[in-house]
Amino acid sequence: MKTIPVSFRRLVAPAAFLLTLGLMGCDKQLDIEPQQSVDAATALSTPEGVQSALTGAYARLDLPQSYGTNLLLLADLLGTDNTTYIGWQGTFISYREVARKQMTDVNTEADRTWNQNFQTINLTNLVLDALPVVTDDDEKSRIEGEARMIRGMVYFELARLYAQPYRTTGAFSNAAVGVPAPSSTPGLPINLSANKTEADAARRIARSSLEETYTQILADLTAAENLLPASNDRTRFDQYDAKAFLARVYLQRGEYAKARDLANEVINDSGASLNASSVSTFTNKNSSEVLFEIQQNDQNNAGNSNDGLATFYSSNAAGFGGRGDVRIFASFANLYGAGDQRGFNPQIGASLIYEGDGRRAGALRSFKWNNAGQNISILRLAEMYLIRAETNQRLGTSVGATPLDDVNLIRSRAQAATLGSVTLADILQERDLEFAFEGFRIHDYKRTGRSIGTGATGIAANAPELVMPIPKYEINLGNALPQNEGY
Amino acid sequence: MKNKYLLPLAGSLLVASAAVGQTRAVSGRVTDATGSGLPGVTVLEQGTSNGTSTNADGSFTLNVQPGATLVVSSIGFETQNVAVGDRSSVAVTLKTNATQLGEAIVVGYGTQVKRELTGSVTQLGSKDVENVPVVSFEQAIQGRTPGVQINQGSGKLGAGVQIRVRGASSITASNQPLYVIDGIPVTSQDVGSASGEPLNPLADLNPSDIESITILKDAASSAIYGSRASNGVVLVTTKRGRSGDTRVTVGAYFGRQEATKLRKFLNADQYKELFSESILNSPFLLIDPNDPDADYASVADAFAGEAGLDLNSTENTPWSELAFRKGSVQQYDASVSGGDAKTRFFLSGSYSDQQGIIIGNRYRRGSLRANLDHSLSEKVRIGLNLSLTRSVNDRVADDNAFSNPVQLNALPPIQAANDPTDPTGLNRNTLYYNALLQVDNAENRSGNYRSFGNVSLAYEPIKGLIFRTENGYDFLNLNERIYQGRFTEDGAPTGYGLQNQLQGINYTTNNTVTWLKTLGEEHTLEALGGFSFQRYDQQNNSSEGRGFPNDQFKRIASAARITAASSGGTGYTFLSYLSRVNYTFRNRYLASVSARLDGSSRFSPDNQYGVFPAASVGWIVSEEGFLKDNNVLSFLKFRGSYGLTGNSEIGNFSSRRLYSAIPYADVAGIQPTGLGNPDLTWETTKQADIGVEFGFLNGRIAGEVDVYEKITNDLLLDLQLPYTGGYPIVTRNIGDLRNRGIEFSLNTRNLDGDFKWLTNFNLSINRNKITNLNGQEIIAGGRNLGRVREGEPIGVFWGVEYAGVDPANGDALYYLNTTNPDGSINRGTTNDYSAAAEAKLGDPNPDFTGGLTNTFTFKGFELSILNQFVKGNDIYNIGGVFQSVNGDYFDNQTLDQLERWQNPGDITDVPQARLYEGNGTAPSSRWISDGSFFRFKNVTLGYTLPNNLLKPTGIRSARVYVTAQNLFTITNYDGYDPEVNTTSFGRPSYLLGHDFYTPPLAKTWLIGFNLGF
Repeated sequence: MKTIPVSFRRLVAPAAFLLTLGLMGCDKQLDIEPQQSVDAATALSTPEGVQSALTGAYARLDLPQSYGTNLLLLADLLGTDNTTYIGWQGTFISYREVARKQMTDVNTEADRTWNQNFQTINLTNLVLDALPVVTDDDEKSRIEGEARMIRGMVYFELARLYAQPYRTTGAFSNAAVGVPAPSSTPGLPINLSANKTEADAARRIARSSLEETYTQILADLTAAENLLPASNDRTRFDQYDAKAFLARVYLQRGEYAKARDLANEVINDSGASLNASSVSTFTNKNSSEVLFEIQQNDQNNAGNSNDGLATFYSSNAAGFGGRGDVRIFASFANLYGAGDQRGFNPQIGASLIYEGDGRRAGALRSFKWNNAGQNISILRLAEMYLIRAETNQRLGTSVGATPLDDVNLIRSRAQAATLGSVTLADILQERDLEFAFEGFRIHDYKRTGRSIGTGATGIAANAPELVMPIPKYEINLGNALPQNEGY
Repeated sequence: MKNKYLLPLAGSLLVASAAVGQTRAVSGRVTDATGSGLPGVTVLEQGTSNGTSTNADGSFTLNVQPGATLVVSSIGFETQNVAVGDRSSVAVTLKTNATQLGEAIVVGYGTQVKRELTGSVTQLGSKDVENVPVVSFEQAIQGRTPGVQINQGSGKLGAGVQIRVRGASSITASNQPLYVIDGIPVTSQDVGSASGEPLNPLADLNPSDIESITILKDAASSAIYGSRASNGVVLVTTKRGRSGDTRVTVGAYFGRQEATKLRKFLNADQYKELFSESILNSPFLLIDPNDPDADYASVADAFAGEAGLDLNSTENTPWSELAFRKGSVQQYDASVSGGDAKTRFFLSGSYSDQQGIIIGNRYRRGSLRANLDHSLSEKVRIGLNLSLTRSVNDRVADDNAFSNPVQLNALPPIQAANDPTDPTGLNRNTLYYNALLQVDNAENRSGNYRSFGNVSLAYEPIKGLIFRTENGYDFLNLNERIYQGRFTEDGAPTGYGLQNQLQGINYTTNNTVTWLKTLGEEHTLEALGGFSFQRYDQQNNSSEGRGFPNDQFKRIASAARITAASSGGTGYTFLSYLSRVNYTFRNRYLASVSARLDGSSRFSPDNQYGVFPAASVGWIVSEEGFLKDNNVLSFLKFRGSYGLTGNSEIGNFSSRRLYSAIPYADVAGIQPTGLGNPDLTWETTKQADIGVEFGFLNGRIAGEVDVYEKITNDLLLDLQLPYTGGYPIVTRNIGDLRNRGIEFSLNTRNLDGDFKWLTNFNLSINRNKITNLNGQEIIAGGRNLGRVREGEPIGVFWGVEYAGVDPANGDALYYLNTTNPDGSINRGTTNDYSAAAEAKLGDPNPDFTGGLTNTFTFKGFELSILNQFVKGNDIYNIGGVFQSVNGDYFDNQTLDQLERWQNPGDITDVPQARLYEGNGTAPSSRWISDGSFFRFKNVTLGYTLPNNLLKPTGIRSARVYVTAQNLFTITNYDGYDPEVNTTSFGRPSYLLGHDFYTPPLAKTWLIGFNLGF
């Protein structure tokens, strides 16, 4: 149409209008920043940022896949014969498989525990990698010590769950039971690099030997021992926490003298003291007996419906509630003598075992885990006393105190009858009683060569089904090889 | 008759005064083929906005310019052009438009006549979605949409609906289409957080307000939506006023509903029998009255000791039925529409209330809408659409929650439902949580305030050239509130409250210029160019508390402990430039090209813009000389298209490596949230489509066939990385998949005359195949069987194959399915689950889906029967491990478990009952069944009262109807309802066809009426 040029002026106004809108929508409209996150390039570029990441690593210890639930719960479920200790009544089949030693390589707990704890390890690596931005020397040492403490602890826990026990001495040594030495037993894949790129993260890492794994664990923990201040914030690791944890590691390895001396040092010098009551550790936060607890509160905890120790253990209508998934067999409760605060008391909260009146009412329950928001004790002084007692007994020494005195100290604190004499078996049983449901069971049985259950259904301490499978996920990716025996 | 109606006349006068030059009046009458007057027909003077509509007997009057041509159009009839010449009166007879070729089809940023379309598009009208007892309009169009599979997934009211346009084009990004209401993309995916299961934000649109729903399926039609079009685009257009009489409609319906089907579980006697046997067979329990080491002295003691059950109970509680009730539906709507040549309006209001079939489930919605159009002058038109909806959904718990009423079927029938001594009146000592407590002791409500609106301005400076700007918003305010009382599982002991407030706002501006030009007699060109900008902002605040004084206090303000609180925000933008050129030569050779340039904040700066072009051609063969006068073949068109679309639902910040906070009791730390990937970009789909449209015998038989192939590349996949590196995944564009399919629709007028019989049949066949996963396999995990594997369709069921029961000892058997040295498959069986290799067990994708609608009319009666069918899909009941597992734990069992193995030589599929032993409990094909069904989806019988009866009453039209929705279903599925897809378990879009205590759909009977004034 020839009218187009004539009407050109009529086009000017709308064209200008459209153009204006067009310019309004220029590229900067495409720059939208996330509101709850910061870019990785800047996150760890300041001392505050590094401290925040370190706090993040502590927070990760509270994950349900870590100390928040599984590092404790799995050790007790693996350590039960389903008739004389605890039983899994819940609907989570993954836990039922653990309790019944029927795990497969796709077991959810085996998968997520491994996965999340390696993420924690990488976060500690990222903290260590970022240390140069911290200028204050004391602060730098402290941060490095805390990060290496966390890394060493996590590797140790994974090694105990995913590898055969480390034992070179005694009746249950590898030589005595005819299994390969730690240097030729698969341990863990060791990642010490601060992975930031896909290329870093995609590296396949074969499992180091158990010997190498423990070497790394000890390197981290002894470094932490040297770097950490003698006193730190109550909720953070200090030097005595490192010593206490090292005592546990040495005990696990059968290095009794080292374990004894460290335990003795912690008892004497850490400033901690036993609580007057066995119950109060589990009803108070950061009580005097506690060396280190995972900090929790009502908002921030490992879970209150599908995860969390209280969630699974508790069945208390008037208290937290809980799922009542883990029951305690009467035969175990009966091991505590009358009046023992760690045993059964009809009044809920008066002792550490009660009859549940919430979900699945009527079964015995542990009062150690009674509230989702409570702290989770990881290291407490009672362990040091019993380490000292056991190692003194084994070595025929009385460093710090006699084994009998140490055992009776723990027993009398619990208002249990004191003993006239102790044997090694008595001390081991005292550990079973004192640390029940706190994640000690399977590790104690493995290191002492005691089988889980007796008779035909008993499972030997070095049986493959007591070792968690390397997740099939890893095997499929050609990582963390070889798989454990039996999977 | 003349001047009886004021408004058209007034309109004519206004137009007349605006027009320059002499005008004169033309009057006439529009009739249908039988000679009866057609009311409401639009009569327009061609090339102007001067028009009117016919009154009740079909007559009209209009002032026109000399030499004017009238365009006479009405939905359902072929549009006719009538040259007035020097006549002052015209008679127009409109032909029914069974082939709908003259129908205007809504397309992206415009409309097109159906016969000239070169893309593949399905359009449905208002009558398909009106008066159907559903919450959201997509549920109403099931069975009517070739190429589009719609799965409601669950009988929960207001729950998300799964829609797949030509198969799943993505694995990890969204597979849901883009929804555009009146030109404005809207929030269509769940934004709630109170529940693990999705809400459906589209339920906020009142179905009665919908004029048309258009589904853009191929690249030619959808590529104009660029990076958001891979999953198809659904364009919803709301009703607008037409000039003419003011019309008032009033309608209501009332109905009752019940579950389509309930599953049968053991009664008390059967339960006692099976579990007594299971206890005695248990390798973990020794029952012996004489052995002091025995676990129990008697079976009754074991019932009590293991599960707290009383074997001597006389209760026989039908738990599975207690989850359901008779529901009800009611809906009221009213609208007023009309206007003159200058101003048109449509106003509507509606209220609907559905009391669901699941205890505690209810959905209510009230909505208002005002759509206005005004012609400022012949050249400038403005429009305003505004709607406001309030919806309230009383929800039930997630499928995977003990508080889900359907999970009541797990409770032993020997336990009582009630306990008069309990403060709640209910038995609170059941094996699992007694979800009946939820009804009176808990609230779970999500409420929306939703408003859609837009303002448009169109300016046509010269004929055929239109500038249009459209500025709209979609405002969504979601308020989720939960209170669990002290007697509930989650609220014990002092109550639990949650409040989540979310605000999501979409702002969109579309600015286009279109130019329509006819060059000579033979060339028609329509060009479109423009740009569009959209911004989405979301803010939310939530808090949770415990420790309420008592259950009368339900707000967080009364909670002693705030157990969680959060506030956050996110958003995205799209900046897009778009263009399209349609060209028609000699009215029969059609071509179209389009392109969109999309930039988005979601894409990394290195990769911020993508181009999405498409091209298509069409040939209307029946316009050729050699066919023009063919009496048999009345219409034939071939068309083909090819183009590129994208899927940008990749997460708002997926490309970034970020750190986020992680709290540690009273302090907060930070941790990396992932590796990020600076190369991350949209997924790309290339789609080719060939279609043929045909009509025989003057449209008595008409149909459409499309064959397509969609190849999707750059699929966003989580590349699995070793756990030991600290980042289990990195998201990359690495996968490929393919959808191929055929869709077919056929409309026939089987009988014409007084008794009319119309049939619509549609069939869709889609084959999905994952072609590249970078060597990985995606395992949904948990107890699901759904996987994504190369060479298999999405969501393929993969795992260990159940082989029944060893007749010798009652052990569950599995096929080995291992590969022999010679390459053959070992079909031997084993009772060792871990010795069996995994194999393909089933396919949740149907072989075909479709619908069949038969409509019969006689005098004022109309009977329409809509059938919907799905064939060849498998369903896996995840709950089978609890429900149908030969008494492995104390959950009540489905009736078929009585067929368990008991004695050597028994031939059965149900293994021996052995408490706790896990005999046949591992995930396997044991709980897969065929999900095919043929459903009487909607049967409606309506009666329209004859005009002569109504005339004296002043009522223009009156219709009464009865409808049965989901009347009955033919299926072999042994669960509740075969239309099932649980959305618990993190709802990845590849987890298809899984059932987990998922409630069935409702069967609804209703009666209703529509009146017009």
